[in-house]
Amino acid sequence: MEQSPQETPFGSEEAFHGAFAELYPRLVSYARRYGATFPEDIAQEAFVILMQREVRVEHPTAFLYGTVRTLSLTERRPMKNQNLSLEAVAEPGLAGGADDQVLNQEVRERMRLLSPTFREALWLFVVEGLSIREIADILGIPEATVKTRIHRAKAQLKDQLNPTGGVHVLV
Amino acid sequence: MSWSDPARRFEPAEDVQLRAELRDLLGLGPTVASAPAAPSAELATLANDLRREALRRRRTERKRPSWGLLAAAALPLLAVLAGLGTWGFQQKHRADDLALQTQRQEQELTRMAATHAIEVARERQAKEEVQQQLQLASRQGVGRKTEPYLVIPVEKPLKFQGEDYQRVKAKPQQ
Repeated sequence: MEQSPQETPFGSEEAFHGAFAELYPRLVSYARRYGATFPEDIAQEAFVILMQREVRVEHPTAFLYGTVRTLSLTERRPMKNQNLSLEAVAEPGLAGGADDQVLNQEVRERMRLLSPTFREALWLFVVEGLSIREIADILGIPEATVKTRIHRAKAQLKDQLNPTGGVHVLV
Repeated sequence: MSWSDPARRFEPAEDVQLRAELRDLLGLGPTVASAPAAPSAELATLANDLRREALRRRRTERKRPSWGLLAAAALPLLAVLAGLGTWGFQQKHRADDLALQTQRQEQELTRMAATHAIEVARERQAKEEVQQQLQLASRQGVGRKTEPYLVIPVEKPLKFQGEDYQRVKAKPQQ
């Protein structure tokens, strides 16, 4: 389905402004967590790429997050550190923003102890508030894999809370 | 309710519950649905700038060739391919005809060879029979004194008869 130049991926112009006001800071923060040097540029580029598309995007939020992730990783490519994900969560100085005020030191420490793969899915699901489908689109993996990662992250969090080895069931 | 609220995207209840459990595990507390804040003037200006930039890029970007253009570009190639296909089909038809003709000739030759072989075998058999008769005839003639004249064998009578011999000398008188 094609998108007219007057139409935005979010509908009317007012809806676009509202979405931009809500998403832009989150995307800047998200890019910063990936260690991007210019997170604002990456977030803005993601919006331009989204609106540049002539074909309507089904999940614009997931598209924006996915584009920011790709651009951030591309910026980091010479550093060969693409396996690291959201490592800045444990470093308060790197990821400034509203979320850092929400996340206290204890939460950051719990997130840091998770494996990077699970941490990424958990972050997008819990902190960014994205749906399983959107996370699957962002990471380019099946929804079932996203669910598995989130459930394993949950199990690891329970292990952290119960280090003595209590019995818990992976739900 | 915010536009990005998961509930607006018809998220299943189990996912919502899972998120709440995870927030609880992380010590984040329940999600508070806050009213969407009005976008600031700076953000609105930035959004408009980005939108203009996207439109500019969309206008100036190199367009991908349309299907019609691709079809027109592929037309000569298709014509050449069709010509080659027709030529190939004709060649194949011709080759099939030649192969059939060759096969028929080969069958005819085989048939003629078989006929000749039968005739040769028949002649050879006749020759062998003649040779056998000659051998038999020559075998019957072994031990006889060959005469320079014709000898007609006559069966001897079982007992002598008076008329069978001629007295050439008179009986001596006693």
